[in-house]
This record gives sequence, C-alpha cells and structure tokens, in this order.
Amino acid sequence: MPPVNTDFMPQDGSNDWRDAAHSTGTSIMASEFDGGVVIGADSRTTTGAYIANRVSDKLTRVTDHIYCCRSGSAADTEAIADIVGYHLNFHGMELGEEPSVEVGAAIFKELCYNYRDSLMAGILVAGWDKKKGGQIYSIPIGGMCVRQEVSIGGSGSSYVYGYMDANYKPKMSKEDCVKFVTNTLALAMSRDGSSGGVIRLGIITEEGIERRVVLGNELPKFYEG
Amino acid sequence: MMQTGIRPYYPDYSTVPVERQINPYADNGGSVVAIAGKDFVVIGADTRLSSGFSIYTRNQNKLFPLSETTVLGCSGCWCDTLTLTRILKSRMQMYHQEHNKNMSTTAAAQMLSTMLYYKRFFPYYISNILVGLDNEGKGCVYSYDPVGHCEKATYRAGGSAGALLQPLLDNQIGQKNLQKPSQEDLTQEKALSTLKDVFISAAERDIYTGDSVLIKIITKDGTKEETFDLRRD
Amino acid sequence: MSYVLCPEIPEPGFSFENCKRNALLESKGFTTPKAIKTGTTIVGIVYKDGVILGADTRATEDTTVADKNCEKIHFLAPNMYCCGAGTAADTEMTTQMVAAQLELHKLYTNREARVATANQLLKQYLFSYQGYIGAALILGGVDIEGPHLHMIYPHGSSVDLPYATMGSGSLAAISVFELGWKPEMGEEEGIQLVRNAIAAGIFNDLGSGSNVDVCIIRKGVVDYRRTYDEANKKGVRQGSYKFPRGATAVLSTKVVDVEEVSVTPVEAERMDVAAF
Repeated sequence: MPPVNTDFMPQDGSNDWRDAAHSTGTSIMASEFDGGVVIGADSRTTTGAYIANRVSDKLTRVTDHIYCCRSGSAADTEAIADIVGYHLNFHGMELGEEPSVEVGAAIFKELCYNYRDSLMAGILVAGWDKKKGGQIYSIPIGGMCVRQEVSIGGSGSSYVYGYMDANYKPKMSKEDCVKFVTNTLALAMSRDGSSGGVIRLGIITEEGIERRVVLGNELPKFYEG
Repeated sequence: MMQTGIRPYYPDYSTVPVERQINPYADNGGSVVAIAGKDFVVIGADTRLSSGFSIYTRNQNKLFPLSETTVLGCSGCWCDTLTLTRILKSRMQMYHQEHNKNMSTTAAAQMLSTMLYYKRFFPYYISNILVGLDNEGKGCVYSYDPVGHCEKATYRAGGSAGALLQPLLDNQIGQKNLQKPSQEDLTQEKALSTLKDVFISAAERDIYTGDSVLIKIITKDGTKEETFDLRRD
Repeated sequence: MSYVLCPEIPEPGFSFENCKRNALLESKGFTTPKAIKTGTTIVGIVYKDGVILGADTRATEDTTVADKNCEKIHFLAPNMYCCGAGTAADTEMTTQMVAAQLELHKLYTNREARVATANQLLKQYLFSYQGYIGAALILGGVDIEGPHLHMIYPHGSSVDLPYATMGSGSLAAISVFELGWKPEMGEEEGIQLVRNAIAAGIFNDLGSGSNVDVCIIRKGVVDYRRTYDEANKKGVRQGSYKFPRGATAVLSTKVVDVEEVSVTPVEAERMDVAAF
C-alpha cells in the first residue's frame, strides 16, 4: 500500500512502520440480490507489516439504509464517511424521508473527487432505497462514481475478478448472494497478504441491515496448495 | 485497484534515475570502560547486544583476551567485531609461532592500529579499547577511532555511552577541574568501584547500555573476571 | 500596541512564521533539533467494571533517556483518561486542549461528556493536521453507555477495541494481551495483566523503561496509581561523589548591596466551574 514502505526498515528507528500511515490493505465487496444488497469485508488493518487490528469493521454506517465499504487510508475513509453521514443526516431531515443511495454516493464522489490529490480512498457505497431498490456505487481513487450490480475493491480484489465474473448471477436469492460474497472474499483473503481475519457481512434490505460474521475457522476452504 | 493511485505514486515511465543504497553497517550498541593503575588495569563492557529498539541478547561478552596480559574491548557493529577479533586472534598466533614468544601489549596496540587503517576506505565500525600491562608491568589503555588513530591513555570510555562517561572519568580518575587533586596513586579498589558506578549511571541514561557488566582485572598474577548486574529496561 | 508589561496576545493556532527560514537553514546544512519522542509502551483493557490504562515512564531523545519518570496517562475528564505515545509535546498539548473542550461541553450540555465525544474531537483534530501532529493515543473511559476504549492514530483514524497497545513497545505488550485477555475480567486480574503488558514493553523494548503507571476507571471512581510498580531497581553506587569543600575554584568575589523591594502577593481567584 503506497505510503507505507516495507522494503527496507531503517535501524535508527526513524520513519519506520510505527510512523507509517494506518491503512486498510483490504478485500471489500458488494453484490446486488433480489431484494437488496450484500456487503462484505475482511477484518485486517495493517501498518506496514504489522497487523494493527485483526477484528476491524470496514463496513461503516452512513444512514440506516446506506453503508460503505472502505479501502485505502483508514484515517481518510473514516473522515469521509463521518462527513457524508453528517450531510445525509441533515439532508434526510430537510427531505423528511431517508436519502437515496444515489445521493449518498454523489456526496462521497464529490469529496473524493475534490480532494483527490490529498486522499487515498477507494469506497463502495451500497444500500437500499424505495425508488431503485438495492444499489451499489463504486468510487475508486480519483473520485469517479459508477453504479455496478456487483463490485469488489481493495488490494485483495485483483485476485478474484475472474471468480466474481464467473459466479455472479443477477437476481440471486439472499442466501445464494451471501454465499457468493463469502466465497469471493475468502479467496481474496487467502491470496492477499494484507487481507485476512474474519469476514464481516451486511445484508441491506427494506428492513434495514442484518449483520453477520464468518469467523476465521468457519471460512470456506478452497485449494491451498 | 490500489496501485492506480494518482498520488503519491507516479507511473512507471518516469525516467528519473533512482539511487538505491543499502547500509552495510549496524549499530549494536554497548559501552566499554577501561582504567589503568600503576600495576594493574581494569576493563569492563556491558553485555547487552541490541539493534534499533530491540535487544538481541542480554549476555554478550565484548571483551576479547589477546594474550596473557592483553585484552581488547569492542563495541559498535558486532559483525565487524567478530571479523576483526578473528583476524586478530590468528595474527597473534602467527606472531607466537614465528617469534616463539607472546606479543607484548604495546606491539598488539600498534598492530591493531595498522589493521584498522588497512581498511581506511571501508572501515570496521567499531569503537576499540585495548588494555594490558606493558613491559614494565604498568597498566596501560589504548583507544582507537574506527580508522586506526591510536591514543595511549590511563582511562577511557568508549561505545554508545562513551560521550556520557568520559567527562565523569576525567573528573573522578583524571581529577580534572578539582582544586586539590589527591596525590595518592589510584588503587585497584577505587578503579573497580568507579568503573561499576560509572556503568550504573550509563544504564540510567543510555538505552543501549544495560543488563550486566563483565569486568576483567589484569595484574602480573594473571586475569580475574567479575560480573555485575545492571538494570534491564 | 504591545509593550513589556502587557505583551500582545498571539494569534490562535500554530505559528508557521519560521518555516521558511528553517527550510532555508536546513538546505544550507543546518540540522534542526529533534522533538522528544516518547518511545513508549501504552496499553488499555476493558474489564468487568470499567477500563484500565497503563503506561511506562521513559521519555527518550534519540538514544538517550530524556526523562526517567514522565507521566504518559493524561487527564481528559473526570471519567476519562488518555495514554499518549509519539511526540511528547503533541500528546500533552492535544490532550490538554481536548480536556478544555470537554469541560466546556459539559458546562454547555449539563451532562458528563461521553468517551465517543472525546474520540471524535481527537480524531478530527489529528486528521486536520494530516499526521503532522505526532500523537498516538489510547483513550479510555466510562460513561452513561458503559466502558469504552479507543485507539487513535496520528493520521486521525480510530478503532474501538476491548484491548489495545500502542507505541514502540506495542508488539511486546500485545503478545501479553493476546495470550491473557479474557472478557469480563476481575479488577485485580486486569491490573496484573496490564502490569505484565507494560513490563513486557519495558524489558523488551529499548524505547520503554522505568516504572509502570496504571489508571483504573470505574463508574464514578478513578484510581490513578502513579508508579504502580517499579519494574527496575536503580543500582546502588559504591563510591561517594560528594565534592570536598573548595573543590571549585573561586576566581573573584564581588559583593553588591541589593535595594530592598517589597512584594505583596495577590491570591489568584479560582475560576468558577461548579456545574451539575
């Protein structure tokens, strides 16, 4: 992950991993299904080679029906999510109803784009609203915003694009979708050194969110040669 | 996805030449103190070997006997210490076989200087203090810089706490800045207690000095060894 | 207008007026003095009735020990304390400033401040300085919602954990926690675990040392145990280092009569902060 250099650690104690930016070398994912979206993430947070937190929650609430999956610098993405949460809360009060996912994603994009020179954030905004149902918006570094039916992000994602493409089907059932997200993340976590720990899941439907955890010893197993 | 960042990563077609270097030296810390008297010399070195903020071992001997009457204390880059002392040992043996006698302390001191200067442009990164009895049986201390400058003294502190301890020795042993210096000769007891006290102080303020001190006392009757505990934090 | 007796009040916030000058000096080969870093072990755990914070007491300046007994557990509010690692001045000033904000917040809302509020204040402040304020913090406290423990990084990210370690000794300390921490621990057991974690840092990390400070925060009561454990006994010196009278040379003597001045001390009035 960019600002952290682990190639060579100086002996004099200056500017090593202890001073390094705290970043989430991550695997994150979101997928639409019939009735909502499933979001998922691994739970590893690293500073250089050190696992600063093995049980982190990268699925962050923005409103009751909009969540985001964070990847990149922890400080940047937390700050953005807090600010968007504030704006949507205010917007929701003025509107008199829950803000749409699209508006949420647009505010994320606005921040990520305007501050693209000083941010390190790759965010998936996912949620449910009564106008368009379950939606996912991908906002990669640079501040683009695009709606996708299924999306993955973070350093672990590059290992599982093929798996995602091969296994995603539109209008899956809820449990099929949960299985799909779990499998994809498990594969990403086993290949990517900066992803790992448990899988945290969120199922967002009209009723709100249902949170689940797949513990380390319960992860689906694949070829490990 | 993370690799496509706009900043701080620039694309790989950037043509600016990048200079890369690795550092061949390590600083493994440690302090050495030596005090000579009329018919004896004491040398002590702490036994902590460390790197950065971590300790490799709490029990590393840094004193190397070169002959019956000569001891070398080393601190700094430990891999250089190992190499230097290995070569020194074989040079001492070659001398013994060629001349059928042990090398004197003064000769060993001179040899060390030339051996260090031989590596003038890729030096051994070691702070050396060599002690022993000279031909008259008088205690003597030689201290070196990494490239072979040699200086004869009666007391010396070197290594990571060297700069911290030398002024204390200047005052307590060298009797500097005192109005009425004592006329008496330095006793072995006074030298030994000062050496220990000096290490207690060093362990308080220098993070690379601690755990314990190994002391060698050289007299005409041979070498005595002693250890002494220091704080371990 | 400013003059000697009434100096001008400086602008709020940091002064950057010497930045340009210092950059110029540095480019010409001048080495700027380094700030004291508290190469540190700080820890915190959640236990049955609250949280326990712990810290070592060594402050280092490069490889020399700058302070052998410094305080790294800072006061934030009566129900909240904060351990600081990193640049000593930054941790001290940041916690002091947030403590002031929390006090005002309490007076304004007429409620005891929450730990989440302190966490948000700290992380937003640190984020706004993009990591240049080198404060790594462990924030612990008990509020209306129960015990809370937050770990805050210099760049402004934070996490909520049941046990946390920070500073250069964090690896040594986390190994003790990963082995020994359990949910719903008793107080004595918890204090012992915190002590062991700090001791692991003190002995295995050269940046940490001296004593163990512990702060136990329960609902309504705080027990700050300064020097809970002296992990290392100082060596006993054998010699006497008292200088005999006359050891220092007197080069010249001059006696000057001083005019008598009378000073009337005025007792400072305490600020009224009685709320609740």
